[in-house]
Amino acid sequence: MIAIQFLLIAAVGLGLLLFVRRWHGVGMQAGKRIGLVAFALLNVYAVLRPDDVTWVANRLGVGRGADLILYVLVIAFVLGMLNFYLRFKTMDRRLTELARTIAIREAELVNRERGVLAAHNVALSVPAAEPATGPATVIVPVTEEQR
Amino acid sequence: MPEQPVPTGPGSGPESAADVWVVIPVFNEAAVVAAVVTEVLAGFPNVVCVDDGSTDGSAAQVASTRAHLVRHPINLGQGAALQTGLTYAKARSGGQFFVTFDADGQHRVDDAQRMVAVARSGTSDVVLGSRFLDQATNVPRLKRLVLRTAVALSPTARRLHLSDAHNGLRVFSRPVADQLRITMSDMAHASEIVTLLARSAWRVEEVPVTINYTDYSKAKGQSLVNGVNILFDLSMKQRGR
Repeated sequence: MIAIQFLLIAAVGLGLLLFVRRWHGVGMQAGKRIGLVAFALLNVYAVLRPDDVTWVANRLGVGRGADLILYVLVIAFVLGMLNFYLRFKTMDRRLTELARTIAIREAELVNRERGVLAAHNVALSVPAAEPATGPATVIVPVTEEQR
Repeated sequence: MPEQPVPTGPGSGPESAADVWVVIPVFNEAAVVAAVVTEVLAGFPNVVCVDDGSTDGSAAQVASTRAHLVRHPINLGQGAALQTGLTYAKARSGGQFFVTFDADGQHRVDDAQRMVAVARSGTSDVVLGSRFLDQATNVPRLKRLVLRTAVALSPTARRLHLSDAHNGLRVFSRPVADQLRITMSDMAHASEIVTLLARSAWRVEEVPVTINYTDYSKAKGQSLVNGVNILFDLSMKQRGR
């Protein structure tokens, strides 16, 4: 079981490292997709020629080909979930920005009507209401490439 | 229509606080929020309440006061509400100090005034309220354990020598507020703020404050279980995206 253990742990480690790196360039995105397609093709092959998979599994110290597929599937699943989580966070952040912009715009109108906000103070604020991704941020904003 | 918002409450020198904005995130606090806001308005003329998609008429309660009201169209979380309030307040002219204040009545206005005075004295850029400095008066035992654990688990809180990382009462001076950008929408924002402060060069000071632990506010506090969520979100954040 030594070979497969080593491979699986290395795969998890490498996957985590890749997913979690700060830069997420175009290359990374392409890599993820290539990995996905390769995994799918591998599965097709495994369905067509299970004996070959069993041969590979035996080489790696796994009893059956189906077990090997299962192990790989677990890793793919975890990495997929992680990817999904990160992407979801990005979406959440965008939604927040959007809702905030809408909320502030509407509030300026409403508060002026209520008489708590002076009119001259509204015009001033309209461009300032959305500097959210300005340069003066401490936290790096999510950019397109990071997905 | 007045030039500056005029407080309705008794004047305890609110004109001297014209450059202070109090940000109050509100989520389903209809029972108490109007009273809390009125109390704050007596000490600070500029108050903005961010209604975070409440379903219990909190917004109407706020609208009955002289506070500014910003309504999130959907519930986004307390951190997002704070950031919205800060963004709104910063866009108004003249704000130099920004106070975050809880809507459930657990904070005291005079504590906030003392903290603003500390910030105004120029000795610090950020003033944080702490339940544990000096006399740790009236914090329930389990609550204390949870909060102490939060501090112990936060390396940044330790580096800043903070005694209370999750107090909702804070004062930011203008330069800090300009830099601050709360991205953690939910309760993890408190740790996020502390982390930001620890990484920056801002001078941070803690001031002892008293918390009114009413039954109402107790029922709303953070639980230890939620601490797990906070830790997970924060650790994911710190590893990039």
